[in-house]
Amino acid sequence: MLASLFASTAAPFDTPSVDFHALAPELVLTGAFVLVLLVDLFTEQHNKWLTSSICGLGFLGSAIPLLTLAADGVDRPLFGGSYVVDDFALVLKAVFIAAGYLTVLLSTHHVAEGDYWEGEYYTLLLASVLGMVVMASARDLVTIFVALELLSIPAYLLAGWRKRALTGNEAGLKYYLMGVFATAVMLYGMSLVYGGTGTTLLAGIGAQINGSFGDTPVAAVGIVFILVGFGFKVSAVPFHNWAPDTYEGAPVPITAFLSVASKAAGFVALMELIFVAFYGRDDIYGPLMFVLAAATMTVGNLIALRQTNVVRLFAYSSIAQAGFILAPLAVAGENRTVGADAIRAVVIYLIIYTLMNLGAFGVIIAVSRKTRSGEIESWGGLFEYAPGLAVTMTVFLFALAGIPPLGGWFAKFQVFRSVVSADTGAGYALGVVVAVNSVIALYYYANIARQMWFEPVPDGDRTPIPIPGAISVALAVTVIGTVVLGVLPGTVGHFGDVATDLLAITGP
Amino acid sequence: MLSHAFIIPLIMALSFLAILGLGKRLPKGGAEIGIGAVAVCFVLALATGVGWIQRTNHPPAVEHSEEAAPASETSAEAEPAEGAEAGGAEGEEAHEEIPPVIRSITWLRTGGGEITVGTLVDGLTAMMLLVVTLISLLVHVYSSDYVAGDRRYTHYFAFLSLFTASMLMFVLTENTLQLIVGWELVGLCSFALIGHWWEEKPNSDAALKAFLTNRVGDVGLLIGVITLYFAAGQTFDISTINEMANSGEISRGLLFVASCCLLTAVMSKSGQFILHTWLPDAMAGPTPVSALIHAATMVVAGIYLVARLYAVFWHGFNIGGTNINILAVVGSITLLFGALLAFVQRDIKKVLAYSTVSQLGYMIMALGVGAWTAAVFHLFTHAFFKACLFLGAGSMSHACHHSFDMKADYGGLRRFMPRTFATFLIGTAALAGFPLLAGFWSKDEILAGASQLGDGGYPLMLVMGTLGAMCTAAYMTRTVWYCFFGEPRGAAAAHTPHESGPRIVVPLIVLAGLALVAGFTNLPDTGVLSWVPENLALRFEHYVEPVNPTFPAEATVGPEFSHPEFSIVVAVVSTGGAMLAAAFAYLWFWRGLGPHGITQRNRLARAGYRLLENKYYLDVLYTTIIVGTVKGPIARAANWFNQTVLDGVVNGAASSSRWAGRWVYERIDQGVVDTIVKGSGTTAGGTGQFLRRSQNGKVQTYGAYLFGAATLLAAVFVIIASVG
Amino acid sequence: MEDLLDGWGLATATFLPLVGTAVIMAIPRAQETLHKLVALLTSLTVLALTIGVAAFFDYDRTRELQYLVDESWIDIINSRFIVAVDGMSLPLLLLTALIVPLVIIYSWDHFPEPHNPKAFLSLILILETGMVGTFVAQDLILFFVFFEIVLLPMYFMIGVWGGEQRQYASIKFFLYTLFGSALMIVAFLSLYFLATDGNGTPLNTFDMRELSQWAGADLSRVAGLLIFGGMFMGFGIKVPIFPFHTWLPDAHTEAPTQGSVILAAVLLKLGTYGFIRIAIPILPEAAQEWAPWIGGLAVIGIIYGALGCLAQTDMKRLIAFSSVAHMGFVMLGISTLTDFGINAAIFGMVAHGLITGMLFFLAGSVKDRYHTLEIKRLGGLLVEAPRMGWLLGFCCMASLGLPGLAGFWGEFPAILSAFNPNVEQVGLFRVYMVIAAIGTILAAGYLLWLLQRVAFGNPREEFAREHIHDMHVTDYIAWVPMIVLIVVLGVYPNLLFRVTDGAVIESLVAIAPR
Repeated sequence: MLASLFASTAAPFDTPSVDFHALAPELVLTGAFVLVLLVDLFTEQHNKWLTSSICGLGFLGSAIPLLTLAADGVDRPLFGGSYVVDDFALVLKAVFIAAGYLTVLLSTHHVAEGDYWEGEYYTLLLASVLGMVVMASARDLVTIFVALELLSIPAYLLAGWRKRALTGNEAGLKYYLMGVFATAVMLYGMSLVYGGTGTTLLAGIGAQINGSFGDTPVAAVGIVFILVGFGFKVSAVPFHNWAPDTYEGAPVPITAFLSVASKAAGFVALMELIFVAFYGRDDIYGPLMFVLAAATMTVGNLIALRQTNVVRLFAYSSIAQAGFILAPLAVAGENRTVGADAIRAVVIYLIIYTLMNLGAFGVIIAVSRKTRSGEIESWGGLFEYAPGLAVTMTVFLFALAGIPPLGGWFAKFQVFRSVVSADTGAGYALGVVVAVNSVIALYYYANIARQMWFEPVPDGDRTPIPIPGAISVALAVTVIGTVVLGVLPGTVGHFGDVATDLLAITGP
Repeated sequence: MLSHAFIIPLIMALSFLAILGLGKRLPKGGAEIGIGAVAVCFVLALATGVGWIQRTNHPPAVEHSEEAAPASETSAEAEPAEGAEAGGAEGEEAHEEIPPVIRSITWLRTGGGEITVGTLVDGLTAMMLLVVTLISLLVHVYSSDYVAGDRRYTHYFAFLSLFTASMLMFVLTENTLQLIVGWELVGLCSFALIGHWWEEKPNSDAALKAFLTNRVGDVGLLIGVITLYFAAGQTFDISTINEMANSGEISRGLLFVASCCLLTAVMSKSGQFILHTWLPDAMAGPTPVSALIHAATMVVAGIYLVARLYAVFWHGFNIGGTNINILAVVGSITLLFGALLAFVQRDIKKVLAYSTVSQLGYMIMALGVGAWTAAVFHLFTHAFFKACLFLGAGSMSHACHHSFDMKADYGGLRRFMPRTFATFLIGTAALAGFPLLAGFWSKDEILAGASQLGDGGYPLMLVMGTLGAMCTAAYMTRTVWYCFFGEPRGAAAAHTPHESGPRIVVPLIVLAGLALVAGFTNLPDTGVLSWVPENLALRFEHYVEPVNPTFPAEATVGPEFSHPEFSIVVAVVSTGGAMLAAAFAYLWFWRGLGPHGITQRNRLARAGYRLLENKYYLDVLYTTIIVGTVKGPIARAANWFNQTVLDGVVNGAASSSRWAGRWVYERIDQGVVDTIVKGSGTTAGGTGQFLRRSQNGKVQTYGAYLFGAATLLAAVFVIIASVG
Repeated sequence: MEDLLDGWGLATATFLPLVGTAVIMAIPRAQETLHKLVALLTSLTVLALTIGVAAFFDYDRTRELQYLVDESWIDIINSRFIVAVDGMSLPLLLLTALIVPLVIIYSWDHFPEPHNPKAFLSLILILETGMVGTFVAQDLILFFVFFEIVLLPMYFMIGVWGGEQRQYASIKFFLYTLFGSALMIVAFLSLYFLATDGNGTPLNTFDMRELSQWAGADLSRVAGLLIFGGMFMGFGIKVPIFPFHTWLPDAHTEAPTQGSVILAAVLLKLGTYGFIRIAIPILPEAAQEWAPWIGGLAVIGIIYGALGCLAQTDMKRLIAFSSVAHMGFVMLGISTLTDFGINAAIFGMVAHGLITGMLFFLAGSVKDRYHTLEIKRLGGLLVEAPRMGWLLGFCCMASLGLPGLAGFWGEFPAILSAFNPNVEQVGLFRVYMVIAAIGTILAAGYLLWLLQRVAFGNPREEFAREHIHDMHVTDYIAWVPMIVLIVVLGVYPNLLFRVTDGAVIESLVAIAPR
């Protein structure tokens, strides 16, 4: 009896073999995380700049293994397929790390000048990016959840970083509360799906989702709840109303970070779920995504028309952009080629969008150093005293509006292409919606350009704006990237191509 | 010369550029260039005429002209100046046919096909070349004195040259497309010269009126040419069009449509009734211009057009087979109504202008009744005596303070300017059709045609023509009285007028001489004149009238084309009538007999007088009613529509989307929040600022919102899933 | 030389202006003369290149694409960098390359407020890249990119250097055009997916040559109509065709002189060029079904634009409205789908570019001297500035389609070809023909009234005293070439017709002449 008991308990435990090369980026980031923490502990206030440099170096360092991994380019499933390092993962890890690095560049002066706690700031930033990098490889409900929490909780803290400002607290708290609500919903959905399929592996779920369980309403509820959870993450209408307040309250670099990186993480999760786990059930996620996409881009754009505050305007514009990114997912289930098109479109859009949006926020940070105001009026006549910034901002604005030959046009074009390629009524309808929306969007982007170029300087103060080195580096990188991707979209197109192997996991 | 005729307009065009370029630097301000150029052209025109006469006497024996057109086209690289000799010098020995000399090069290429530009020389062309260059030469000489010291002396001569070039190009035209070009270019010069003194608004108004009225006609021209282009199998070539019309390859209906369209163009350009109103106003230009453009040459462009495309009109209006047709009606109405208007004019140039209108009416009527030669012949003679009269009028105004009001400022001038008087008298006599003078022969031939041609004559035309002849004699007598007899008035009395200088008088004498003799070029040799020797009679007809398939005389379909015979009856009646009318006028003015002042006493007479004074109220109709409404209400309505309706839609789209934005933002996006704030703000009273902000309801609301939305969506898709 | 051009001629001509822009950007703001020199040299080099292209162009093979360059560009959407010229695009290419340096010369001394030549010239050069590129691109996506590039510089040119209403005008121009091109790109994409080779396998190409080969074979009627509709919106707004024209008067009136000239001379041609280069050859059947509607809108535009002109009180706005009428003639010629009509349309584009460009130059100079364009305050221009006065008269005559000047050859053949179009509704088109012919009367009306009120008569008191400077030397340099071209083309139209004819016939092979 006892023997049997022992026998039963003495289940052999064999440690899984870990492919450290595959995990190298994560490990480097973790190392940097720890290092920054220690340095922060043992340095005086005047040496805090170390933290930011270490953080930046950490990001750069973590990029190296990415290259080596990309070089030998074999898919590396770990932990029984719940954690996969394939091209899709690599491309998006690269995006996250780049976004993180640019955020550091944008933050350096902002954080150093404002009365913030520098050390923790960068620690949390590293942690959040780490979560995203994990998310890029997660192929298992649990892993996804862990990654999500790992990237979110630091983000909640960072959002409330301006702790002396009420808006800052509001931002952090609201973001946090809404986040946990969403997580709750999502967890419920996950439990339902797990209960139905008995596995948390996405591939496993994908195999059974069309089976007996798939037809039960429970499955529908599960799928919907999970997707809704991430819909919150990407601030899709109607789960968006945390975004404006949070963006406005958070420190501007963090706003940039949230509006780009954490949104991208949400999309990564959505893609993994849709293309690996739920691919067969386009009868459910198709309409859901259609509704979300159409509502998101329309509402986001319409509201953005009314904004007078730059940051708030970009909050809504990024909501609208999320709508554009969602559009391809609505038709992804049509067939595998369309699905591949959709992945390509979303990945390309994420890459280009990261550059454009971070760049725009970079200019906002630089300008606000002088104007000390988020109002659009305060941008009047920028072209007269800071032509460089004005031109750069113009590039980003019209890139976001999708005017050739600036990067954005190709992203939007890809969205058009994938929705049209479905050759379904829904697809064409979505195409028209996208077309109309891109016109509306142009209006408020052009409105900022109008302020900078056509209007006189409001307070007549024409002293040029000093641009810190870090920010100018960030701006240079982003603006060059935006233009190059616009003129030679083939480069980014390649990434989009390789990313489509995500679909291969589910098999035919 | 026949095949190098293109040189003639080219010279004038170069002269235009030369005068524009360096006229101002020359001592005579460019006049010398113009005179020299046009003199050369006159010589060349003579050469052309001689060349054609020889060609007529010794018709070339070559194969038929159909091959001419393609053979004559050179490659597209050729410049306008170069080009191949037309193999077009050919004819059939059978009935010695004299085809025109055609020479052309590619002008433009489309759909693989080529459209040519070139020259067509035959008797008609040669005659026109002579008339245009001669009158132009005389007018140039005359002007060098008349407009001396003018503010834009050089521009004046430049435009004279341009006009001459365009007119020559027009008469040399080889296809209808080129015809349009010349047609419009002479219109442009007319515009520029009418408005020569554009500082005064009336002048520029007159210029605009002339141009716009002609534009109205041009619509007809364009459509007519287009119709013929397609009717003749996509060609502009005039000879081809005529031949196809003659051989019945083009349907009657199409020809009729084309003829009607072209007729509107003719009416506007040649001042035919209801589109004639611009011509009298055109007298706002310098007098020599009126003589050259608005009497002798440009206004006969319409006549020339009909004569050129005569086969089209012949078959289109079935001229040979009826005794009434649109062309003849238009002509006869014009000749009579124009003549009537001449009675009430105070301005001598307006008298002459209306007389021009009426004479052009004669020509159109002649063409309408089928008397082709008579019409062209009248064009020929009319050019001389009408130019003579205009230049004489100019000479008089030169003496009388540049006034043209013969009632107020002239009188008794015969004593001061005898040469002007003599020449003017000859011109008048010729115009009135005094026996043996130029006008007599041509007018009589027209009336003879009206009496004999068509399906048993055109009686109505005959009557109106005779009445017109009487009116002409009468109003010219009136003019002579006002100018040369009685006592000097106004300007004439203010300071003694003097005879003009040689550069003005010599042209007058030349023209008067031609007015005397020009008529004998077409002596009839029939009826009572059968004694006229063969080699003197009908020289004009013999040399000018085409003898080839392009002319109705050789038509294979339709009625027979015939020539009128000289009829002593018609001649005596018309001439007698004219003399009678002149006599009445003589009694009225010299002897003061007749019911003077009847227009005051008799309502009917007064009404008629008013009607004439207001030119049948046509100007009111055009300027006030038609143009007024288009320029005013209609245009403004269109603009209102544009600004209010169309733009409204655009702006509406923009503003409505912005409105939607505000609505969604305030009512939904933030509204939800605000209401709750109002509701729960109080409950949270007293707690700390931080708590308050966090608990003021926003978050709960958002939470409820999120869960609600999630559940709703879930429910929806559960239904979808379970249904599907 | 020739084989050199063959390789890189067109590409260089397209992108050289961008290099010039970069150089200008690098030069500090103070050295204005240097800016002007760089800009002028760049544009002149482009002109020289295009002249070289024209010189070595094989005029016996105008129907084929020459100087063809075909490099890979965006592989994942199978869109390639294909540039070439044939008889259809060569004249417009030359026109563009000619206009830009003239504009730069014209603005040499008098830049509009707020001065800043650096930015102004950079924008003009960027514009040039867009315009040249559009005329040489042979790939739909490439075409689209260049087609859009011109938007931004023009937006800023109007918005920064424009008149009182500049902000409204600029954003209106921008949004309106963008709306059209958004639908256009959807149409292009559906072509990409629906075009198939003979045996039903999709072509998946944006290559205009292949698509013209395909020519809408085995495409459902409705799909064809819809796709053509998408392109119709894109190109039609740019032209602009009647109901979509309201951005034009505002943009023209508010834009600085240089902007208006470029807008009139080249930008409007992008739309019409799109029709004859892309829409008609690729979807001939749909074109034949759309033709009556296009023709109808065209003649409405002719009459309507003319009436609009008659109602204007501002000289520049009047000229702007006249563009609506003139482009109406061009569209009428296109809608007949006949070789003569489309040849005439291309001729009309070039002629309108030169003539209306000149008119805007003159209007700008009048504005410079009188500081107003209100017609009833002007007058007696011939007295105070005779040369400008005569030029105005000349341009009005050319613009109302006087034979012997360029305008005529765009107008009359268009009317003529409406007599029997390659369309079923022949009768309808004959009605169009008559209406268009009547339109020429109105054209003469508004232009001559303009001439009378501006040039004739004696100057008003307010200007009688002050000295009005006649043409500057820069004006001579900038205007003489255009005047000469207007005359030469008018006297010997074959210069243009023989270039375009072959390409036009080629573009109509799919349409059976009836």
